[in-house]
Order: sequence, then C-alpha cells, then structure tokens
Amino acid sequence: MTKNLKIGVFLCECGGNISDTVDLDKVRQALDVEVIEQFENLCSLNGRKIIRDAIIDHHLDRIVIGACSPISHEKTFQDYVKPLNPYLMDMANIREQCSWVHDDKEKATKKAITLINASIEKVKQSDEVNPIYCQTPDEVAVIGGGIAGMNAALSLARQGTKVTIVEQSPSLGGHMAKIGKVFSPVKIAEECGMCLLNPILNDLVWNENITVWTNSKVINADRRAGTYNLIVEKSPRFVDPDKCIACGKCTEVCEVEVPDDWNEGLSLRKAIYRPFGQSYPEAYVIDPDACNKCGNCKRQCMMNAITLKQKPENVPLQAGSLIIATGHQLIDPNKRPDYSYKRHPDIITQAELGRITGVNGPTKGELLKANGKVPKRVVMIQCVGSRDEKPDGHKHCSKICCSVASKNANIIKHKYPDTDVVICYTDVRTPGMFEKYYKHTQANEVRFLRGRPGEVAVKGDNLIVRVENTIKGEFEEIEADMVVLSTAMEPSEGTKEIAKILNLGTTEDSFIKESHPKIKPVTTDVQGVFVCGTAQDPKDITDSIMQATSAASKVAEYNYGGVKIEPFIADIDHEKCQLCGDCLAKCKFKALSIVDDELFLDPMSCDGCGKCLTVCQHGAININGNIDEKIFATIDGVLSKKEDDERMILVFLDTIGYTAADNIGVNRLKYPESIHIIKVHSVNRVRPSHIKHALDNGADGIFIGEFPGDLMYDEVEQKIERVKAQIAKVNENPNRLAFSKVYIPYFEGLARKLNDFDRQIENLNEIEGV
Amino acid sequence: MKNIPDKNLLLFRSCLVSVEYPGIESSTKYVFEKLGIDYGISEKQTCCTGLGHYSDVFDQVSTTAIGARNFKVAQNLGRPNLVMMCATCYAINKKSVKLLNNKDDLREEINELFEENGLDHLKYEKNDLTPTENIFHFVDILYGKKDEIKKHVKYDLSQYKIATHHGCHYCKVHYEDTIAGVRDPNIIDELIEACGCKTIGWYDHKRASCGTGFRQRYSNPDLSFTATADKMKSLKDENVEILVHLCPNCHIQFDRYQPLISQREGREFKAIHLNISQFIAIAMGADWESVVGVQAHTSKIDSVITELKEVES
Repeated sequence: MTKNLKIGVFLCECGGNISDTVDLDKVRQALDVEVIEQFENLCSLNGRKIIRDAIIDHHLDRIVIGACSPISHEKTFQDYVKPLNPYLMDMANIREQCSWVHDDKEKATKKAITLINASIEKVKQSDEVNPIYCQTPDEVAVIGGGIAGMNAALSLARQGTKVTIVEQSPSLGGHMAKIGKVFSPVKIAEECGMCLLNPILNDLVWNENITVWTNSKVINADRRAGTYNLIVEKSPRFVDPDKCIACGKCTEVCEVEVPDDWNEGLSLRKAIYRPFGQSYPEAYVIDPDACNKCGNCKRQCMMNAITLKQKPENVPLQAGSLIIATGHQLIDPNKRPDYSYKRHPDIITQAELGRITGVNGPTKGELLKANGKVPKRVVMIQCVGSRDEKPDGHKHCSKICCSVASKNANIIKHKYPDTDVVICYTDVRTPGMFEKYYKHTQANEVRFLRGRPGEVAVKGDNLIVRVENTIKGEFEEIEADMVVLSTAMEPSEGTKEIAKILNLGTTEDSFIKESHPKIKPVTTDVQGVFVCGTAQDPKDITDSIMQATSAASKVAEYNYGGVKIEPFIADIDHEKCQLCGDCLAKCKFKALSIVDDELFLDPMSCDGCGKCLTVCQHGAININGNIDEKIFATIDGVLSKKEDDERMILVFLDTIGYTAADNIGVNRLKYPESIHIIKVHSVNRVRPSHIKHALDNGADGIFIGEFPGDLMYDEVEQKIERVKAQIAKVNENPNRLAFSKVYIPYFEGLARKLNDFDRQIENLNEIEGV
Repeated sequence: MKNIPDKNLLLFRSCLVSVEYPGIESSTKYVFEKLGIDYGISEKQTCCTGLGHYSDVFDQVSTTAIGARNFKVAQNLGRPNLVMMCATCYAINKKSVKLLNNKDDLREEINELFEENGLDHLKYEKNDLTPTENIFHFVDILYGKKDEIKKHVKYDLSQYKIATHHGCHYCKVHYEDTIAGVRDPNIIDELIEACGCKTIGWYDHKRASCGTGFRQRYSNPDLSFTATADKMKSLKDENVEILVHLCPNCHIQFDRYQPLISQREGREFKAIHLNISQFIAIAMGADWESVVGVQAHTSKIDSVITELKEVES
C-alpha cells in the first residue's frame, strides 16, 4: 500500500542559508517523487500557497519539507499541509544539521539527499493521528485548610471554580492561627497573626464557591479520565454547626478536662469545646476520645444542636484537580533527649513559647515559668532536629527558625527588657529583607552565640546549657532558667498519608516532591495534583501563600485551557490485557492504573516512552503512530543512500538532544558528514532491534544521547549496556555503539563527542578492514 | 531492628579484656553458653590495632589489612559473624569492612600486599562481609536474647543503685547500627532491666566520654581526668553504687583511676565497675573468681555487693 503513496517534497532555500551550501538542483534530480518544488522562503505565506496548491492539484498523500529544524517550524508546516493530517508531514533538517555544519558543497548536497530520503521513507510509514484534547472537570479539592490551602481555595473560587476544602481538624486556620505574632521584615515589627488571618477566613467563609469539610480526611483516591474520585471520611462533630450559636453554655457544664492542643497542651479544655476564638465553623465540637457521654451538654443546649450518637461516614468527592496543602508538624523534641525537654517544665519549644507570649494563650501573654516567675535568662537553641545527620534528625534546614527565634526574642525583650536572651545558632539564615530583622534583633540586645549546644543539664532549679562558642573557640556553660528549642519542621502525618494514597513522589524527609525543583515548583509527579505550603518543604507564611496562589493558577490553566496532548502515547487493547499489572510498576510517569478491573492509561501522564510495551507479555499495549516502523524506515532511508567507501553514523536524540544538535549548527561549529541525526520522541523508543537492524544494514556506528534529567535516563543507560553485551556476544565490536549525556547549552561538548565518535569509528573500520 | 544472629559467631578476643579484666571474656562465654549461643574462638585472631591506630602508630592501611586477615580467619572457621567485647574493636572492624567494600583502591592495594607476600589466601573480595550483618558488639547479641536472659536470672540485684556508661565507639561512630538509642543510649539499661533491675536511666553527662581518649590519658591527663571526674561527680550526686560498662577502655578509666580522681577532686568516689557481661553473669549465679574475675578489679566488687539475694520465684 505504501508504494502507491503520492509524495511531495518541498525544498526551502532559506534565502541562501541552505541553497548556498546545498545544490538544490542536484537534490531535485536525485529524488523520485510525485512532486518536488523549491522556494526561497517556504515558511512565508507564499510557501503555504505553493504547498497547499500542490497537495490539492496532485492529490498528495504525504509531504516532506526539506528546510530548517522542526524545532523552529514544525508547527508552521503542520498548519501549511492542511487539509492533510499534520502528522503526515515530516521535516528533513537540511539547515541546522546540514548546510550550517558542513562546508564541502558536494558532501553537503549528498547528505541533504540522504536526510530527505530518510524523511520520505519515514513519512510513508506515518498514519493519520490526531492530537488528544483533555478537559478535566472544573471542581477542585483542596486538601488541608491552613494558610496555604485557604489561599489556594480562595484564589480559585474568585475565578469561578467550585472548591471543596477537606480539613482534618475541627477548624480552618492551621498553624497560623496558633502563632500569636508573625514576623514582618519590612516593617521590622511583629504583627498580630490572627488579625492577618481573619480577613482571609471571612472572605473564604462568605465565598459561595467554597465548601468546607472539617473533621474530614481523604482515605482513598483513584483517577479516571482526568477525574479524581476521592473517598472522604467525615468524623462526627456531635454538634450541628447549623444549629449551634456558639454560646458556650455546654462547655460550662462539661466535667471532663484534657490538655488543650491549641495551646500546645499548656492549658486545659473541656471535652466539648471551641478550638479557638475565631475558629470556623463557628460552632462547638466534641472530642470523642475525651467525652464520657454524660449528657450534661446535651441537656444544657437550648438549640438542641448536640447529638451524642453519631458515626463517621464515608462520602465521595469528585474533582478534576487536587491541591495538597496538608502542611507540617514540628519534630518531637524528645528526639533530642540530650536537651532534656521532658525533664524540666521550663525547657519548652518555640511553638509553646508562641502560645505563652500570645495574648490569647494560657498566661494571657505573660512570660512565666512553671513556678509563676518571669525568667531572668532565656537560652534559645536553634536547629533542634534540623541540619542533623544523626538518626532521628532531619538533614534539611527548616528555614524559618532563625526568624522565629528572633521574633520571639524581640517579643520577650519588648515586654521584659531585663530578661537576658541568648540565641545559640549554627548559622544565622535570614536572607533578603530578613537580614534587617536580624540586625534589629541584635540592636534589641538579644545575644547571638555561634555554637550548637551539646546538652542541657538540669541542676536543681537551674538549667545549664553546654555549648562550644565556635567563634571564641571556648567551651561555655550558660546558666538559664528557661530554654527554648527551635524544633525542626517535618511533614505532617496528613502529608505522609496523602502522599501514600495518591502515590506522590516524596523527598528523603517525606515532604511531597515537586516535579522539578527549579521550574516546576508546584506540580507533582502525578498529573493534576499540585502541592503548596509546608507539605512541600519548610517555608514561611508568605512563601506558602505565593505557592498556594501559584498552584491555583496551575489548576486554572487546566480548567480554562484544557490540555492538548501529542498523540504518540500508549494505547491499550483491553481484549488482550490480562490485568497482570506488570506494566504498572515499570511506568516511571505513573500513567497506568487498574480501575474497575480495567487497565487505564492517563493520556495526560503518558510520555510515550514505550517501556510498558516491552514488559507486556500479552502484547496488549501499543504506541499510537507506528513509531517502531517509522524508526526502521528512517534507518533504511539513511542507509539506502550509503556508498561503498562512505561512513554512516546514526545519532538518535530526543527533543533536548536534538535542540543541542541544532545549536551546533546555529553556532556554526562543525561535525563530519557521516553524522546523521534522527529525532525520536523518546530515546527509549530506540529498541535493541533497531540498533541491530542498523548495524546489520550498513551503519558503521550508533550514538544515542539522553538528557540525564529524563526520568528514563537510567533505564536507557542500562539498556545500552545490555545491547553492547549482546553485540560483543556475536563477536562484533561493542564500541560501535555509544551512549552519552546531552544538555542543551553544552552543544560544544556534543559537537566534540560527535567528532570523537566519528574518529573512533574510522579507526575501528581501519583495524577491522571494513 | 537489624537481624541479630545467634550462631556462627566468632567471639573476637580483646587485648584489654585479656590483660586487664579477663573476667569479661569468661563472663561473656558463661552467659553465651547459658543462652545457647553458638560461638567459637580462634587463636589465629590478632589484635584489631585499635589502641595503636588511635595513637597514630598504625595507619589505616595496616589496620584494614589486619582486619582483612581477621575476617578471613572468621570465614575459614565458618563463623563469619564477628562479635566484639570491646567498643574499639567493634568500631575498628566495622570501619574496616566498610572500607574494604567501598574503597576499591584500598582493597586492591591490600590484596596486592597480600599477594606480594605470598598470602594470596587472605585476599578480601568485595562484600565478603557486610558491616551491618556481620560485625557486632556482644551487647547486640545479648539484646537479641533479652527475653531469654530473664529465664536464667538467679540473683536479684535490684536493691543497688545502678547506672550505665555506653562506650563512644559503640554509640557514636557507626550510629546507624547502634541499638536502643544514640543520643540517649539505653542498650545496657535494657539488658539490666532484663535481669529484673532498674537503672537510674538518664543522668547528667550520661552520653559523655569516659575521658580515656586513647593516648590522651597519658599525653593530656588533665583534660582526660577532668572528663572522667565530671562524670564521676554526677554519678556521686545520684548516689550510684554500680556503674555498668560495655568497653574495657572505659572500664579501666573508671575502675583503675577512681582512687586517683578521688584524690584529685577531694571527694571520695566508691562506685564499683562491672562489665555488662559480668553483671549478667553475677545475676545468673556465676562464680565470682573463676568466671567474673573480681580479683582483677581495683574497686572491690564486694565493697558494694555484700550479699546475693535469690530471686523469688
């Protein structure tokens, strides 16, 4: 069937860029196709007319454009070949990879013919395929109702998106509600945290697009056709928020007292309680672990809002995208037993100090020791569990603790100027404007001592902090009557749980990992799931809000733009699939799942690398677009033009490597005419059979380049090693196959490697007498 | 929790144990036998070089080569699990296995040295042993048999005030393998608990070094004994009567130098010092002279343990 295809070739002179080096007349004579035309600027609108007219007049089936790199103009020519399907066109790169890298006119012309011939053979194998358009449902679930989740939800809701916030605790607000005062580097002042949080909370409560589910957590999730089906477990509040008027009479009659977690356990609350003054929903809640079901509160409630018999229920929730804002927790200070946290009540954490100094805290803002007296000297210890390589520690810097310690030290100094405050630090990390805040803290006579205390000893009523002052090089014992530990931020249990449920990649400290730390800071390795706030890494409120709004904007891209996907992705034959699941574990892009006894491919996640094909024993997976055959045809197209004494080297590169190769031409560096670059969708699609076929049919060498950041890099490297071993087995030289890292900016390196490889193959040919 | 073996063990003899407190070795054997642990001893085994190594007498190449030789001795006996009685031997041997497995250059250098000297049979192959699976301190082995220990306890020592001192080279060098706490070391405390006694647990300076510092004791005695004295004072404040050790180096520092430090500090320190194997052996009813070897101790054991009360069954 392919023999009868009518093929049109269109050559671009590129204003002399091509035609000065490549003899296009000779090219035209060398090719046997239905139509061959030439134009000075094929990408211009006149070029479009020439191509379109020829397609219509000659009933062309396939088009080859001999011009610049597809990186520059593939989209243009895909448009110009209408009414033909855009994927029935292929570009032979005779500019960046021919006229710009070669000087010898005759050899360059010969190579241009080879490249165009390869494209002709390739395009004969092309099928009509269409890009896949994905539209995800607009509804969004935000997991976690702290400052990050609230901001993400609000941003989306204001753009008209329906958002459900799923919050595990009885109230929105998260850690920020507890902080008391927050640091502000620009104003060089400590501001009221609740006063900043409350307007956001109010906006959110009144926004019609937002639904808030408290006491709720995601327990299961699956994804199908861009839709997440979540199962959310709603634990009972036992108090109906619609009826409760938050009068507080129930609390008065409750006889059970337990430590108040909102006050870090420093005060007591009742079993029926309101988490804090401004908590939302504005209603009381019963702590089921503490409640003895005496019924006092129920009898007291005049609104009849209390029901003591309620069970958790599982509720389905559908969403197109998810934003994970499940936040952090602070490391258990008992993991540094040498700091004696549990051995003395006046050894506390910064979080506890935040509650103590908060006007809505257990002491109404007064800094008091367990014995009710104001401390004379407070020593703060930084990096407790952060920057710690020992077991139970975290290697990361928790980022906010230098500023938090400074803030709390300033608050103490402001109220109690006679109290000596010493901060023992490893390094002071107050970047950007926070440096001013650090200076301000020093000016407030807070003392900074560089050294990481070894231990805190309890001697009677006194606390002894043993530390090496690393600036003086002296060992010091500081007597204190209060010690404050700046404990490390670590991912919350909720963060770890949701990462597991959604199969999200995590860092070594179990934070949720973004898909690229530099340029994709809010996407995760699972399509449609975004992360923000301290679930991703330690950060302050400002950074959390920035990342939250950024995540919201990523969701908006999905919701308003839809997603257009190149069609060359996996395709499942459900008749053949036995649901063995072998492919699931092999997919590095997490594109495959089994849903309702059927293998499901998420087109938005699939990269078309083809790994799943190789493990499927039932041949149930294929890749759209005849990729295998196209690679074979391209190889044949190059090699069929090989002459007896000619050296032919095939170079397989994906978009990144190909762009680097183009850069060689753009910068007019040179490599030998023997080098023929073949662009592939994914380097992994070059299979051992392709390599064998090429070597058996006249290729002198094969060079495969891959960007080390590609998820498939290790896989490809191992594959090449295996193929080399196979080549050696049949007594051929494995050095005819080379594998190399490629980087876009490192095109000089690639040019050198191509030159070196050509010389290596030349030597091999001489030795082996080829 | 790592996999703790109870067979194919080579009990690695220690110079300091043999010379200073032979009772530690006989007590360890006694306890191992009670617990049915399969161990052997080899007269071909040599010193680990530890004291010399940390005093800059032996370099790392010699130390690792000697390690490789001892590992081969263990393997040839079919006892590839080395069990140390001394924290120094433990850290030195563990480090040697790590180096031999991970530093190809060093391994090749040592294997070449063996070859040049006609000792091909000693050559070490990468991953012959693994640091976590083959190198242990005997406290690890006992920890694996904690529940078993309880069954053999004959005497109740719970009336004494007991504290523990964990050797740095067990806790602080290869801390990824340390059992029952690094920053709050508790393995000896838990073994003592298995004998039906309670220790005082945490005390000030619990984590601190004994002060020996290998050559520091001789070249920097002031610093060395200040560290020991800090710890002794803290123990005295807690009225500790028995300090239990896992390393003969620490044991020497406390037991032999206690009178000197008492003099130096003008305060009488009277605690007795026992290795954990000796402590368990006493609790199990071992003979004080032939097994526990109390005659080698400077601070006399019977100055504190005056009578043995049988466990009520």
